[in-house]
Amino acid sequence: MSDTPKPRLMRPETLTAIGIVVVAGALLIPTAELRPISALLPAAMLIGLIVLSVALLAMDQRRAAKGEAPAPMTKSPKRVIGAFLLIVAYALAADFIGFYISTAITIPLVAWAFGYRAPLGLLAATVIVVGTIWLIFDFGMSQDFPAGRLWKD
Amino acid sequence: MYSDLLSALPNVFAFANFAAVIIGVIAGIVVGAMPGLSDTMAISVLVPFTFGLEPLVALGLMAGIYNGAMYGGAIPAVLLRIPGTPAAVATTFDGYPMAQKGEGGFALQVAVVSSAIGGIASAFALMLLAPPLSKVTLLFGPSEVFWVAVFGLASIIFLLGGNPIKGLISACFGVFVSVVGSDPIYGNDRFTFGALELLDGINIVILLVGLYALPPVIDLLETPLKTDGVTGSKLGTQSMWKAMPRMKGFWKTWLRGSFIGIWIGILPGAGGSMAAFMSYNEARRGSKTPDTWGNGEPEGVAAAETANNADTASALIPALTLGIPGTAVAAVMLGGLLVHGLQPGPMLFRENPDVVFGFMWQFLFGAILLIFLGGSLATNSFARLLNLPRPLLGSVIIVLMLIGVYSIHGRMFDVYMMLGFGAIGWIMDKLKFPLPPVVLGLILGSFAEENLRLALRIGRGDWGVLFQNTTSLILVALTVAVVIGPILKRRLFDAKAKA
Repeated sequence: MSDTPKPRLMRPETLTAIGIVVVAGALLIPTAELRPISALLPAAMLIGLIVLSVALLAMDQRRAAKGEAPAPMTKSPKRVIGAFLLIVAYALAADFIGFYISTAITIPLVAWAFGYRAPLGLLAATVIVVGTIWLIFDFGMSQDFPAGRLWKD
Repeated sequence: MYSDLLSALPNVFAFANFAAVIIGVIAGIVVGAMPGLSDTMAISVLVPFTFGLEPLVALGLMAGIYNGAMYGGAIPAVLLRIPGTPAAVATTFDGYPMAQKGEGGFALQVAVVSSAIGGIASAFALMLLAPPLSKVTLLFGPSEVFWVAVFGLASIIFLLGGNPIKGLISACFGVFVSVVGSDPIYGNDRFTFGALELLDGINIVILLVGLYALPPVIDLLETPLKTDGVTGSKLGTQSMWKAMPRMKGFWKTWLRGSFIGIWIGILPGAGGSMAAFMSYNEARRGSKTPDTWGNGEPEGVAAAETANNADTASALIPALTLGIPGTAVAAVMLGGLLVHGLQPGPMLFRENPDVVFGFMWQFLFGAILLIFLGGSLATNSFARLLNLPRPLLGSVIIVLMLIGVYSIHGRMFDVYMMLGFGAIGWIMDKLKFPLPPVVLGLILGSFAEENLRLALRIGRGDWGVLFQNTTSLILVALTVAVVIGPILKRRLFDAKAKA
């Protein structure tokens, strides 16, 4: 049986509350350097975030003490992390190697990685999407896309 | 004021403006029909692409998408028992049993006619109620405007239901994001950390795309939905002319659903799903044969679909006049208005009557177009959309998100920032933190700060200036009522349950 309960501090809501307290606390430092009237709203919001997060943490810990399990964040964490990493990788690729190359790679790669594996469908979708983007945004609207930092230097 | 409404009508028939509504309705139906995609997401992704467009073209697209998506959600609700949008949950109760009996086509026809009727009623409500309300708000000074902003935030936090602490955290986060950039009066940098890209503040579109578009895409990739290959031949569709006589007894349901939808739309924090549930329950209560409900009663589909479409335009009544959106989509639409330099509030009606009244007409025509575009032939085609591979759809949306955000200022910094907001949005979504208060916080935060500081200047630093007139006091009382009301209601409910 793998029913060992997770540490109470590892509950998603508790972790989120701690994260908010830490970030909001850190942001209070530059707030102190502002003129009082400029600092009024941000300071109020940051202090509000800290107080509310502490309340959230207390509520979650009370639930934990009662033995209530936290609702799962995701059914398949690997897929979520994979999806997010692929999206970040796409943004980085667009920035460094250029928009069109990275788009032409990303569309079939994401679709393939997440279960759509018909080669013809992937090819057709890639050609249609990249072609339509070029036609509408590049040719029609003269929109510039990232050319890739690597090629610039 | 109503003469402005009539003089705006010809603008709506300009080719580009009308075509935008048609395209919007079709796109909305497609988006609504895809479980996992939503009208909020579609409008968020669309907003950055509308920068270069005329305001009425951009707003026409948004109005069309909103109308179309509300009906589109009924397609998978009827055919697969999977609501395409949250507002279509009540449609599954009788829509799916109808489809199992081979009456899926008729269920969709009832849905499209009811959606159109709800949408038309809602557009008329917007036209009739928004102009006089905007006149009242013209009397507001800085302290009243400040309290309107506070009231707007309070109402969306506390009336949204769920956990008020989470709502407050969302709102504080949104307001904090609104202060990033140069101080509006002294010009000193706040939380820019030396990044020149942050000097002008954080563009609302970046936040919208991150919060509303990225989490659904990740969900789409996380659990690819499998459909059983719905085809038009399974629907048993008949012509609309044959279907209409079967709906002749629905007028009471349409009327009741329209009123409920309009009322719920105006209330900040409620939304289409609440309207649909209330309308469904009321219609069932008033039915002579309540036992047939839940087993394929067409009137059940009519009740739900009328109400969830009737809350579309009406949600914009407080949004356009006071800057307080009634629903998440209305909050996103406010962002769309700001992108075009249209600040919601009384001046919008005075300075841009052509645009604001044209937008209202576009809602009306969007609802009428639903009947033609979502009719039987189109319904067959839209049903096939359910067979599109989700991962492919997800990858295309990712590309559109990048293009949209990059095109705002032509820099990757914004894209990285959008990804950051996306990650935050995903966590918030999973932990059930409401997202509309974040958007409203961003919209109203700077608005509230500017007016608070202006009021304090007028009052020479005396905070009493915020409580010096009757309107301010009424707004304070309303804010207190909105905060305390749900708490008292809960206490009362708990006390009754204990008794």
